[in-house]
Amino acid sequence: MGEHEARGWIRSDETAKQMLSRVLGDRAFLLLPPLHRVPLRAGNVVEITGSSPTAKTQILIQAAITCILPKTWNGVHYGGLEKLVLFLDLDCRFDVLRLSDMLKHRLLEAYQSNVKTQDKSKIVYDEELYVSCMKRFLYLRCYDSLELLSTLKTLHYRIRLQEACGSQVGVLMIDSIGAFHWTDRLSSSLALDKNNRKSLSLTNVVETIVQEMKKLMQVHSLVVIATKATIYEEKYPTNENNRNISSHSDLFGNPSSKAQQPPFREFMPSSWQAFVTHKIFIRKSDDHHKSLGQQNLSAYLLEWLQPQLSSIDRFIVDDSGIVIVSKHTQILFHVSSSHAVWYCHCLMT
Amino acid sequence: MAPLKHLEMENSIIDECFRDFCASHGILTVEDFLLHDLYELAAFAEREANADRLKEGITVMLSLIELQCRPWLNGMELLEDLQRNKHTLSSGDNGMNSLLQGGYGEGQLTELVGPSSSGKTQFCMRAAASVAEKQEGSVFYIDTGNSFSARRIAQFICGGSDAAALRKRVLSRISCHTVYDIYTMFDTLQGLEVALRSQVQMNVNEYRLRLLVVDSISSTITPILGGSGSQGRALMVALGYMLKKLAHEHNIAVLVTNHTVGAGESGKTKPALGETWKSIPHVRLMLSRDNRNSNCTISILKHTSMFLCVFVFFIAFWPNSEDHNSLGQSTMSITNFLWSSAGFT
Repeated sequence: MGEHEARGWIRSDETAKQMLSRVLGDRAFLLLPPLHRVPLRAGNVVEITGSSPTAKTQILIQAAITCILPKTWNGVHYGGLEKLVLFLDLDCRFDVLRLSDMLKHRLLEAYQSNVKTQDKSKIVYDEELYVSCMKRFLYLRCYDSLELLSTLKTLHYRIRLQEACGSQVGVLMIDSIGAFHWTDRLSSSLALDKNNRKSLSLTNVVETIVQEMKKLMQVHSLVVIATKATIYEEKYPTNENNRNISSHSDLFGNPSSKAQQPPFREFMPSSWQAFVTHKIFIRKSDDHHKSLGQQNLSAYLLEWLQPQLSSIDRFIVDDSGIVIVSKHTQILFHVSSSHAVWYCHCLMT
Repeated sequence: MAPLKHLEMENSIIDECFRDFCASHGILTVEDFLLHDLYELAAFAEREANADRLKEGITVMLSLIELQCRPWLNGMELLEDLQRNKHTLSSGDNGMNSLLQGGYGEGQLTELVGPSSSGKTQFCMRAAASVAEKQEGSVFYIDTGNSFSARRIAQFICGGSDAAALRKRVLSRISCHTVYDIYTMFDTLQGLEVALRSQVQMNVNEYRLRLLVVDSISSTITPILGGSGSQGRALMVALGYMLKKLAHEHNIAVLVTNHTVGAGESGKTKPALGETWKSIPHVRLMLSRDNRNSNCTISILKHTSMFLCVFVFFIAFWPNSEDHNSLGQSTMSITNFLWSSAGFT
């Protein structure tokens, strides 16, 4: 190797500043409410766990709306990302009316806050904008794992077709990743034991799903958000048995084990668990939220497990979507003389 | 899924040597093909003598898989499908209709949960009568506990001048099938699916199937659930998906009933069939009957688009045999009630 070539090899391609600006431009941070506590980047995989029903699909719909809205339109600021959303419905329970109503609410809200002088009752949302937003929401349902695998294998070409029309994909949403868990487990127990042949078992299916998604994420910059419904009943007593002085006892759980163990029994194979970069847990709150009017809405608690945040959001679901009602923060005190860890909860509104 | 040699007839590229190459990597059926990394396979194909032909074969396989996939629908197309094909069916009871904002949705799986003699079968029969009479549709009624009664359905039908002829027509649109175990249930539903698909192809539009009732689904599933094995729950999930598929593709409203079990130390009752079943129905309704004054209370446990956990009282007067004209006079009062969540989730 000549000296000239050696020098060329040592010389840098770009400075750190240039690299950062390139990477941040390509894969910018996204803030998707109600998951806005942690900024997400393309390549992140978020898993939302909760028993049924805990408004997980509502969170997906709300995040989808932020993604499909444009940043500005006709002078009104909507603050969206103007990207496509791919929604893989494995639960097969999606209600498009709910998406449509929430989108209309958002459009009206943004329009109303912008134009203050006009008579509020006469404001109608922009039909053209509504249609263009709804067209950015792409939906597919799968009734078993084989259909899911076929979809993932052919997804790359379909995204290419869509991108040829000009729009980019922002988020891939999977509603209930654990939907086929039991049927796949049954297939594992019935698997043929021939050598060299991969059987349709739970680990193989999930491994292939993870592999295909990794390949997709290498080529397209997207965020994956998956919900997961717990299939085992909650073993950790949250309310009855651990009632303490404070009325916010549902936040305690089992103090010593809270930090180490997840509050639900994990059933997805390790290949999926390693693939997930962010984890959220949602559970029902004990006390109900008394809203204006006569009705009591049930409240839910949203907790970030990975990265572990010290605050827990409390939210309700109403017509316009998810409304965060209050935020709880945990402050830990260590008592030096004993091994007890005292938790102190402050309500911050 | 099909073994690869069945594909040779239509796709000549999937010939003997392609199949041998695949077999050397453990791929014998289309299913196995889905589980393998295709780029890796293409890389292995590079080393073979007829590399181009093999890679062409892989591309043809991939396009065959893509043909089987469903197309992606956008939001507007979904809305259009909903408005055009999926209407709400009146449940036959005014109270239930106002709670559900119209009735049972086509394309949705509605579950009625309640302890015994809380009125679940009555609601099922009421719905069947209403659909057959007023909504010009046929009903497929699967009865697992011998509780179907044609006489009772006849009572729900409002008479007119030609009551007998009307009754005969309406009752002929309801087909009742007795099923006592889960395998017969799968058999019946698969037969129904085949019949519906052939009907679609022949464009027979006479009284299309609009309501499918399974009373009760829990009595077929509970005997196979239990223990730590996955067989029972897998069958339950498979049955749930079959019902949802039938509902969505053929625009049918599916109504199932479930019983309740005690919830351990708290003493309250909760729906049977466990945690996994919770994710299957679209709408879950809890029924309870006040024996002193035959009031039926319905509350929503889960609904895809309603979030107020309002405790709604319905006072439904069940018609007795003489008085078949006063069908379901019900009043609704939304009271400021704290919804007790323990045992209901």
